[in-house]
Amino acid sequence: MNIRDNAVLRERLAAEYALGTLRGPARRRFESWLRGDAALRAAVASWQGRLAAMAEMGRPVRPPPRVWSGIERRLQLSPAPWWRFWRVDAARPWAGLAFFAGAAAIVLAVLLAGRGEAPLPRQVAALADAQARTALVVTADPARRRLHVQVAQDVRVPDDRTLQLWAITSDGKPRSLGILPDNRSAELALDQRAIGPDVMLLAISLEPKGGSPNPDAPTGPVLYKGGWTRL
Amino acid sequence: MSRKFDENEDLRRLLAAVALGDRKAFRTLYDATSARLFGFALRILRKDELAEEALQDAYVSIWHAASSYQVHLSAPLTWMAAIVRNKALDAHRRLRTSAESAFAPGDCDPVEALQDGAAGPQERAQLSREALALAACMERLAGRQRQAIGMAYLHELSHGEVAAQLSLPLGTVKTWIRRGLERLRDCLTKGESA
Repeated sequence: MNIRDNAVLRERLAAEYALGTLRGPARRRFESWLRGDAALRAAVASWQGRLAAMAEMGRPVRPPPRVWSGIERRLQLSPAPWWRFWRVDAARPWAGLAFFAGAAAIVLAVLLAGRGEAPLPRQVAALADAQARTALVVTADPARRRLHVQVAQDVRVPDDRTLQLWAITSDGKPRSLGILPDNRSAELALDQRAIGPDVMLLAISLEPKGGSPNPDAPTGPVLYKGGWTRL
Repeated sequence: MSRKFDENEDLRRLLAAVALGDRKAFRTLYDATSARLFGFALRILRKDELAEEALQDAYVSIWHAASSYQVHLSAPLTWMAAIVRNKALDAHRRLRTSAESAFAPGDCDPVEALQDGAAGPQERAQLSREALALAACMERLAGRQRQAIGMAYLHELSHGEVAAQLSLPLGTVKTWIRRGLERLRDCLTKGESA
C-alpha cells in the first residue's frame, strides 16, 4: 500500500503511532515506511512533541534528595576527595581549561612572532563557552590563505557529533566556514567570508556527523563564541 | 510569553553544557525540571519508589544522551519527558502482570490532573507553552475521550485494553481516540499558526 498521497491517513497513523495505539503488523508496516519517508518521521516527531506536553499536566512533586544522590553515584559525579587532587576528573575533563587555553594562545602568538620569516597571523580568536572558558583558538594566516583551528586538548566531543565553525555577520546571519572532521584541529580555506569587515563573531556549534543539515544555520547548540583580535 | 521563551532557551543552554559534561549545569537542569518530571513518573507508576527509580534512570540517560538532543525537533522539556516516559513504561511493563500496576481510569484525564494539581494561576504559569496549548485544546474534548487518550499514552494501553478499562465497545474507543486526535491536531495547528 502506498500512503504517500493520502495525507489524512498519514496523519492518523503518525498520531496513533506516537500515542502507542498502533500495534502489531500495522505498527511494523508503519515503521518500514518511516525508514524511507522523512516527512512521515517529521509528522511522528511533532505528534510525540504534542503528546509529551501531557507530562506537565499534573501536580509537580519534588523528588526526595536520595534520587539525586543515586544519580550522582551512578554517574560518579561527586568530586574526588581533595587529597586526590591529581586524579583526572572524568566527568568534566575540561574544567581547568580557561587558564590552559589562555596560556596556550599567548605561547602560540609568541612562538609565531619569534619565528623570523614565518608569516604573522594577522588575526586570532579565542572561542569560549558560556562560563568564559576558552575551548579553541582560531588563527587566520592571510599569507597562506588558511584558517587554522585548534581545539584545546581537553575538550571532549561525543563520537557521533562534529564541531562546525561559523562566522556570524553583523546582521546576524551565520556562514559556515567548515567542520572539524576529527574535532581536534582543522585547516580551512581563508577568505572574506571569515575575516571580512561584516564578520562580528565566530561560533562553534555541535552538529550531527558531517555537519549541519542546514547549510545556512546551525541545527545543534552553539557551544563556543568569540571575536577576532587583530595582532 | 517571554518567560516561556526564556525557559526553553535556558534549558537548551543547560542541555548543551551537559552534552560537554558540565556537572553544575546538570544539577541546575535537575533542579529546574525534576519536580515536573517526577510528578509525571508518579502519574504513570503511582508508586513512589518505582517513580524514583524511573526518574533516576531517566536522568542518567539524559546525561549520556544530551549531545543527541536536536533543537529543531523538540522543546527541551518535551525531549526529557519522552525519556522519563520510556523509563517509566519499562518499569510498568515489568509489573504489568502483577497487581501493583492497577490504576484508576479517572486519574488518566490530563485536564483533571491539571485542575487537581495546578489549579492556581501561579502553577499554570509554570507550564510550558506546549503544555498550555495542549491543555486548552484538550479541554474542548469530552471527558471520557481525554481519559481514553490519557490512558493509552500514560499506561501504554491498546485500544482493547482501554475499552476493557472503560467498559465500552472496542469500536467506540477506536473512534473516540481517532476523532480526539484529529480534533487535537486541528486545534493545536490553529494555535501554532496564530
